[in-house]
Amino acid sequence: MDRASFEVLEGEFVAIVGPSGCGKSTILNMIGGLVRPSAGAVLVDGVPVTGAPTARAGPARIGYVFQKDTVFPWRTVARNIALGLEYRGVPRHEVARCVREAVSLAGLEGFEEAFPATLSGGMRQRVALMRTLVVDPEILLMDEPFGALDTHTKLTLHAELLALWQARRQTVVFVTHDLSEAITLADRIVVMTRRPGRVKMVHEVKLERPRDVIALRERDEYAREYGRVWHVLGEEFAG
Amino acid sequence: MTERARIALWRVGILVALLGAWEWLTGIKAISRTPGLYWIDPFFISRPSTIARRFVYLTSGEVRLSLWQMALSTVQSTLWGFVVGVSTGFVAGLVLGRHDRLARVLEPYIIAFNSLPRIALVPLVTMIFGFGLLAKVVLAWTIVFFIVFFNTFQGARAVDADLIHSARFLGAGEPQIMRTVIVPSALAWTFAALTPSISFALIGVVVGELLGGESGGGLGYLITQSLGTLNAADMMVALVSLGAIGIVMALGIKQIERRLLRWRPEYRTERA
Repeated sequence: MDRASFEVLEGEFVAIVGPSGCGKSTILNMIGGLVRPSAGAVLVDGVPVTGAPTARAGPARIGYVFQKDTVFPWRTVARNIALGLEYRGVPRHEVARCVREAVSLAGLEGFEEAFPATLSGGMRQRVALMRTLVVDPEILLMDEPFGALDTHTKLTLHAELLALWQARRQTVVFVTHDLSEAITLADRIVVMTRRPGRVKMVHEVKLERPRDVIALRERDEYAREYGRVWHVLGEEFAG
Repeated sequence: MTERARIALWRVGILVALLGAWEWLTGIKAISRTPGLYWIDPFFISRPSTIARRFVYLTSGEVRLSLWQMALSTVQSTLWGFVVGVSTGFVAGLVLGRHDRLARVLEPYIIAFNSLPRIALVPLVTMIFGFGLLAKVVLAWTIVFFIVFFNTFQGARAVDADLIHSARFLGAGEPQIMRTVIVPSALAWTFAALTPSISFALIGVVVGELLGGESGGGLGYLITQSLGTLNAADMMVALVSLGAIGIVMALGIKQIERRLLRWRPEYRTERA
């Protein structure tokens, strides 16, 4: 990566798109403190990020939903969602209440005691998302969280994610290689170049909210937005 | 007939055929009416009927040290060796698995000790711990420890880094990461070592008993005693008992494993 610089405003939903290997995930890892930039800095609220988060009480600062399935296979759905609260020493009945709420928000009723191995990929990613949201992070980092899902499941999860975000307005940085996903979800799209990744363009998505993830795709505005970003992104894919 | 019943029937059939052949072949005289001359001499391998009679006798109150007492001694030592070996091996595997430098420093010692044929340790263990329960437990431990250690060590190293990162982002401190990520993750590997461990614990114990004499007791002692009196039937009683003990303990471990690893797809019996 090289001179990749952009800003994310509080409460904003920003998507990062670009060819694979351009360093999209690395940017997230730098924001999360998992990777140190070799030069330059990541500032969150004006303070440089110095490392991975350490245990702390209260709401989380940063929540991270990984591309890979990181639901703990040895814990049931309910106990996966409870993890962050358990780590914070939240009393048991309070944990149970929050978990019930999250389970119903994610439509996972009836699967509370199921182990992840028995769930579909979409349901596992729902668990991962709720597990992250239950500790109420200010910033949500998402690394191609729906990359491995089929189109139908993906759209469902887009709608759910938008609804959850609409209610709470976390600052979201969402990495994807799927431009339609980026346009559906984000306020702004950061387009990266091929390796060495730079910021090629920052595009503002002018689609009003709340958005209907299905109907949206038929509309002319959607096609215009798509065309405009694709024009720029396509150059990166072309030899 | 269900597949299960068919398999069970075959198993019983094979057992009956083997015992029958054994009983029959060891009864055929080489030269008619000459006593003590057999095609296959029961002196060396005994006969099922004799073994059954000895079994009844050895489990009766008429003997000073009954088969039950000997079996109990063997089982007790085996379980102790197993428990001590598994717990120490697990802790050591976890610690070295998470401390790269320590593991690298200790590696040659671990490999050297593990390459040592454990049977060569018997005289030394006997010198230090005598002939009793403790010596047998120590022998079982020297084997079980390493089996569990190596597996847990691998498991602790193979923990998915993204799971650790996830826990960290969810607010876990180091002890919580250990408890909720590394231990459960490594346990799956540890469990794979439990079935061989119980078998090897039994081996360690019997080796100790073979050389331990009467004070060590156990089925191994029955074997050496039978050798002294050239009594193949008693030896067979001891061997069959050891086989039975081995099967029961292995099945017990499988049950525990199934319960604790029920999150794994291969252990799923019902929709959990």
